[in-house]
Amino acid sequence: MVSTKLYAAIYVVLFVFATVQVVVEEIGLLEEAYWLAFGLIIALSLIKALFVAGYYQHLRYEPRSLTYLLLGGLLAALALTIASSYSVT
Amino acid sequence: MTHDDHPRDDGPGQAAADERTKPDDGSPRTDGGRATDGGHAGATGELPATGPAEEEHHGFPPMSSVKRWFVTTNHKDVGILYIVTSLLFLVFGGVLALLMRVQLWAPRAAGEGILSALAYNQSVSIHGLIMVFWFLSPFAFGFANYVVPLQIGAKDLAFPRLNALSYWLYLFSGLLLGISFFQGGSFAGGWTMYAPLNIPAYTPSIGASTAILALLLFVVSVTVSSVNFLTSMHRMRAEGLTLRKLPLFTWSILLTVWMMLFAFAALLAALMILSADRLAGTTYFAAADAGGSLLWTHLFWFFGHPEVYIVFFPALGVMAETFQTFTGRRLVGRKWFIASMLLVALQSFVVWMHHMFLTSINLQIKTLFMATTIGISLPFDLMVFSLIYTTIKGRIRFLTPFLFSFGALLLFIIGGITGVFLGAVVLDYEFRGTYWVVAHFHYVMVAGVTALIGGLYYWYPKITGKMYDEFLGKVHFALYFVGFNLLYFPMFVVWETPRRVFEYDPAFAPWHKVATVGGFVLGASFLVMFYNLYTSLWAGEDADSSPWAHSTTAEWAIPSPPPLENYPGIPSYGDGSLSFLDRLGGSDRAADGGEVTDGVDVAGDHATDGGVADDRRATDGGTVATADPATAVERAGGKSHEHDAGDHGEGHGPSHASIWPFAVSVGAFLTLLGLSGLQEGAFAPGLEGGLYMALTGVGFLVGMASLVAFGRERFHGLEGPFGESWPFEGIENTKTGVWIFLASDVVLFGAFIGSYVFMRVASGWTTWEIVPGDPLPGLMNTYLLLTSSFTVVLALVAAEKGSRGGVIASLLTTFLLGVGFLFNKGIEWDHLFHEGLWLDTNVQASTFFLTTGLHAGHVIAGLIVTLYLIVRAWQGAYLEDSGSIEYFGLYWHFVDIVWLFLFPLFYIL
Amino acid sequence: MIGGGTLLGAPLIAAQTDIIPRGSRSAVFNQIYWVFLVLGTLVGVIVIGYMLYNAYKYRAGRAAGSERSAESGEGGPALGELPQGSGGGRKLALSFTLSAVIVISLILWTYGTLLYVESPPDAEESMEVEVIGFQFGWEFVYPNGNTTTGTLRVPTGERVRLRVTSRDVFHNFGIAELEAKADAIPGQYTDTWFIANESGTYQAQCYELCGAGHSYMNATVVAMEPAAFERWYANTTPANGTTNASPEDAATTTASTNHGAKADVAAAPGATAPRAAALETNAAEASAERSLAR
Repeated sequence: MVSTKLYAAIYVVLFVFATVQVVVEEIGLLEEAYWLAFGLIIALSLIKALFVAGYYQHLRYEPRSLTYLLLGGLLAALALTIASSYSVT
Repeated sequence: MTHDDHPRDDGPGQAAADERTKPDDGSPRTDGGRATDGGHAGATGELPATGPAEEEHHGFPPMSSVKRWFVTTNHKDVGILYIVTSLLFLVFGGVLALLMRVQLWAPRAAGEGILSALAYNQSVSIHGLIMVFWFLSPFAFGFANYVVPLQIGAKDLAFPRLNALSYWLYLFSGLLLGISFFQGGSFAGGWTMYAPLNIPAYTPSIGASTAILALLLFVVSVTVSSVNFLTSMHRMRAEGLTLRKLPLFTWSILLTVWMMLFAFAALLAALMILSADRLAGTTYFAAADAGGSLLWTHLFWFFGHPEVYIVFFPALGVMAETFQTFTGRRLVGRKWFIASMLLVALQSFVVWMHHMFLTSINLQIKTLFMATTIGISLPFDLMVFSLIYTTIKGRIRFLTPFLFSFGALLLFIIGGITGVFLGAVVLDYEFRGTYWVVAHFHYVMVAGVTALIGGLYYWYPKITGKMYDEFLGKVHFALYFVGFNLLYFPMFVVWETPRRVFEYDPAFAPWHKVATVGGFVLGASFLVMFYNLYTSLWAGEDADSSPWAHSTTAEWAIPSPPPLENYPGIPSYGDGSLSFLDRLGGSDRAADGGEVTDGVDVAGDHATDGGVADDRRATDGGTVATADPATAVERAGGKSHEHDAGDHGEGHGPSHASIWPFAVSVGAFLTLLGLSGLQEGAFAPGLEGGLYMALTGVGFLVGMASLVAFGRERFHGLEGPFGESWPFEGIENTKTGVWIFLASDVVLFGAFIGSYVFMRVASGWTTWEIVPGDPLPGLMNTYLLLTSSFTVVLALVAAEKGSRGGVIASLLTTFLLGVGFLFNKGIEWDHLFHEGLWLDTNVQASTFFLTTGLHAGHVIAGLIVTLYLIVRAWQGAYLEDSGSIEYFGLYWHFVDIVWLFLFPLFYIL
Repeated sequence: MIGGGTLLGAPLIAAQTDIIPRGSRSAVFNQIYWVFLVLGTLVGVIVIGYMLYNAYKYRAGRAAGSERSAESGEGGPALGELPQGSGGGRKLALSFTLSAVIVISLILWTYGTLLYVESPPDAEESMEVEVIGFQFGWEFVYPNGNTTTGTLRVPTGERVRLRVTSRDVFHNFGIAELEAKADAIPGQYTDTWFIANESGTYQAQCYELCGAGHSYMNATVVAMEPAAFERWYANTTPANGTTNASPEDAATTTASTNHGAKADVAAAPGATAPRAAALETNAAEASAERSLAR
């Protein structure tokens, strides 16, 4: 069983990551190297999302089919986003 | 061997007969047993006759009662409702089409002919919308509702009330569309609703808004239905019915529903944005500099192309079934047929830009989408050949259902070949916007209708217990086929006519006249059908349980019409063919005892899976699984010998009645009708505006009250599993349903974020000005939401520890944090408003307010559920079964995850 | 703009230079269309014929009698069996492969033409006209800034490039006889081109539903001999919003008898314009009513 302690530890991580995202902006990294900062901030969001989905939604402990189900939805959304943005002339 | 109907005929109850509306009730059934039953289904003959208790059905009104049809949640009833309603919409859409054909009798100047320019445009638009949305899919889903549970061996869908809800939302969305004509004219921008013609600046009538909202409601209905079907079809299949072994009609529906789940989520996003543009004044589609017009085409066709297969697949399933039945041959290359459908279903999401070859998309993407488009056409070749080869060496009986299926295949071949023309981009450039396209997609889509009409004749005896008149059926087909080709083939000949115009080259007029005549012949053929089917209800011969030789699927193994709970026992394919296991664990065949044990073993395995997956659930799962076989099977079988007359839902048997789906739909209907009066976020002053406002308020109250009643009602559905439940073994129905819903929500938010990204890319990513000047309110909200997620986790932990106080305290904290989130957002928005930023200020503000607003809407919905949970927890619920808290948590964490992306995208980057 | 496209197409073009249709839009379209039409009809006739032949050959016939006795045939599907397929996979695979080869080669063949159409060889002398759609008409802006409404004049035998956009809603500018077509999207520019080989008038129409006047959203395309065109063009100025008929115009209009009634409509832009204008006014009134209601 996932212990309450682990849940609490994850909560702290999420909290810190959110703060770091704003700190990245505050120190002016966005102005200096936009795409580096962009990658950093999105990566932090991704990690946070994985934590929430994996532990709070306990997907890690469920049959993989649920993960694939969600990845299917995500893939569809990404296909729409990426292909439509790429088509812009 | 006795026929499977006989025990029923002798028994006192006659569930089936009692519930039929036929006046000559009680006359002896003439169906003798079929000589060559093969002994499979015959096994049911030995089953004990169902007792009188079953027929009471806890006060469930009979079919002759009007009340029944308002409260029913039974999949067969809902199926009938879908079929009848969709046929009404066929008439509606058909009349609009005939109006158009009359207008097209000759080239008209403005004001000539029976339709004004705007009336013509309305006819064109609403004809398309009705046929695609309100007729084709619901017609197919009438059959899906009726037949799929029977084919997979389930007694009903996983969520019977949600099924009824889907139907009522569908019906009321259709009513809303009808009303739109009386609100200054309905939507007149084509069924593709291209932007920016779809915004009030160009289509100002209130009715146009109502039509959009009607479609929105329809999409909600589809989403509810998709979740329900997917859960049922994956979780509740009979033993031995692995996905590979599913009948082809069920296969086609399964893939259709998967496509619906994702495709309609994208349409939902498109329609929500459009509604916001029309009602609240956001400026997505008017934003020329940010590709607003193109955004609509992307969103619409991302949905629109899968939609083509969504409407066609069920027809393909019907063709596959009827070809097998009426040729007496199994499908050639069945495996490849299924693989082809699967491939098409997946690929349908990456071909949408072939509808946009003439827009400003770049050449690389055109090339890519040309390739995927050819790719998706090929599997259809295989399916067509597979059907044709199935007829070889068969003994083909040209009965009405087969005639229609066969005709459908022929028409589809023509539709397919003319589609290849469109796949060549150079040709597509010139065909764009002409009657070539019109003719092509009618040959494809109406070929689908043709097959579904075949399905109607095919299942009519099953649904009504009566045979239709074969001669009239053939007359219908002859008229239909001639009318069809007279109507659509001339469109190929004069393909240079531009679409949706009524002034065309006079040289084309003769062909358009032929088409108009064909349209009326096609329309008249339906009169024959309606007459035939209606009179056969009374005059028709009684139908055998299977009037067709060589039918294979489970619905033909039970009486026509089937009794309320479908099967005399638990259907199983455990030994390779259909048998019904005795619910008491006894056996009529030597092997059956073993099968019962098998069945329970399967359930046990699932429980173990669940246990491994999540300790917290182990106890619950274990309880179900380790219950003695008799109880477990009885629970699953859903038969109760207890009388609970008048109080449905209180017994152990499954419930069949609830008025709340209807009531919720009334609420939604009134709310949306009221909202149609909104413009730029405000109701017009004066009486009319006040009326719209009042409607909104009343509708909202009715809807909310009904939802609460819906939640509080004790309703026993079926849980399962009953055998096969890949790939969701060990995940309860509700939980599976929640996850499936969340997957569609991923696409919804994905489409919103995608829209933002697209518009930002189109207008220059780095030059885009972020709306909030300060990320700190956003950061505060991130903290609040993260903390609230954490407290939901704590609530679940407390529930499992049995701490009522802990549950209440955690949920209350969640609620307060959520309110804090909204409060903080309110302050922030207020601040922005005072800075002069409003939804319509610019596209940046529009995307910011709408996307974060959609998220806030999710938060509000979550908070309402939280309140409900708190009240229930106060009353001591959830300590033994923490499922509700867990499922709510899944939703809440999802809302949290969405914010984790919205925050950087809208506040930082 | 053509990066990936050229990569894919380059070897193809090299290999099939002679096969790939080039030339005016009409020529290209007609070649491909007829090949598709003949092959499509052939395939359709064969497949449907084969289908009907089998249906006839394997009909159960009256001797088979009722549905019930039909079942006595051995080996057919039986009630309650688990679904399964019949053999015949090889034949299926073969026909599938054949159809795939036909379809793929046809499309690849046209892809070479697509690349040609998308980026025709540079023609320095070609003229570019901006086409602006509006409810319910077309405006044409020539390189010298001259702007006309409802009539596009072009020289014959010369490539004319169009840069198409819209001022309000989504339209589509198409000249059916010259096989030129492009979406007119607000905020976007789409490109197309055509060559009018014969002088005369052609009709341009809107091919995307755009409102009440969609049916009448026409324009006249007047193809003039190069010399005549040059004379006309030299007389135009940015300020000169000319729809005035030049002497040559009248001549070409009457000359084009082969277009019959269509030409009549086209030749009388004045006849369509008021209709469209009336419709426009209706829409404007409706819009005004709505804002008043608020």
